[in-house]
Amino acid sequence: MQQHSNQINMEQRGAITLFDIRGDLTSFSEPFLSEAYQNANEQGAAKILLKIEKEAYINSGGIAALIQILAQSKRNNQNIGITGVSDHFKKIFSMVGITRFADIHESVENALEVMS
Amino acid sequence: MSDKTIEVNLVNQLGYERIAMACSASFARMMGLPPERIEDLKTMVSEAAINAMEHGNKGRPDARVTVSLDCRDNTINVTVMDEGDGIKEFPPKPDIEKIIEDLESPIGFGLFLISQLADQVEFNQVTDAGHVVKMAIKMNS
Repeated sequence: MQQHSNQINMEQRGAITLFDIRGDLTSFSEPFLSEAYQNANEQGAAKILLKIEKEAYINSGGIAALIQILAQSKRNNQNIGITGVSDHFKKIFSMVGITRFADIHESVENALEVMS
Repeated sequence: MSDKTIEVNLVNQLGYERIAMACSASFARMMGLPPERIEDLKTMVSEAAINAMEHGNKGRPDARVTVSLDCRDNTINVTVMDEGDGIKEFPPKPDIEKIIEDLESPIGFGLFLISQLADQVEFNQVTDAGHVVKMAIKMNS
């Protein structure tokens, strides 16, 4: 059944704070993403990379939760990247406009290179 | 209902939409829908079922959501039925610029995605049995 929680491991990779997000992205993800973001923000993160599991189920509730993180990061002048998403969700993220506020990267390595 | 119609009756609880997604994907594979369109179908079914649970059935645990699929004239037809009385007011198309600026709430993505991904969609079909959303996806679109 649907996971109602996420595990988000934060890792510093040079100037970039990597969120390794385990689990599906749904409306239940909002408090987990928000808590991780607040922690990173308090630690002065300037660049954040969201790594989503390739097989993660993402629905409109998860999209709304992601957009709330993008909104906060814009207010705080932070650069956000996303990696790990399937081709289908790259298309979905483009449709809803997420790609106007966050670049989608093919891999963590590619993202670290581009965002550094 | 044709003899090849399949029907999935779901518990009205978030998460159960994934059962309908999985059945839709299996059905679409059997009918020969291309893989990238199967992913679109899964999202359409998921979002319509979530709307049915949350808005149509208003989260009532005793309510049900019924998802039916058939394939006719080179088209996969999906109906998602809840026990509500239809969508009274459609949310505007979500405007991410306004959402990011906190001028709009982050709502309406489900209906927006359905309308973008389906080849045909009809909302607000109210019958004696309940409220139905009809969606279609063409085999060669």
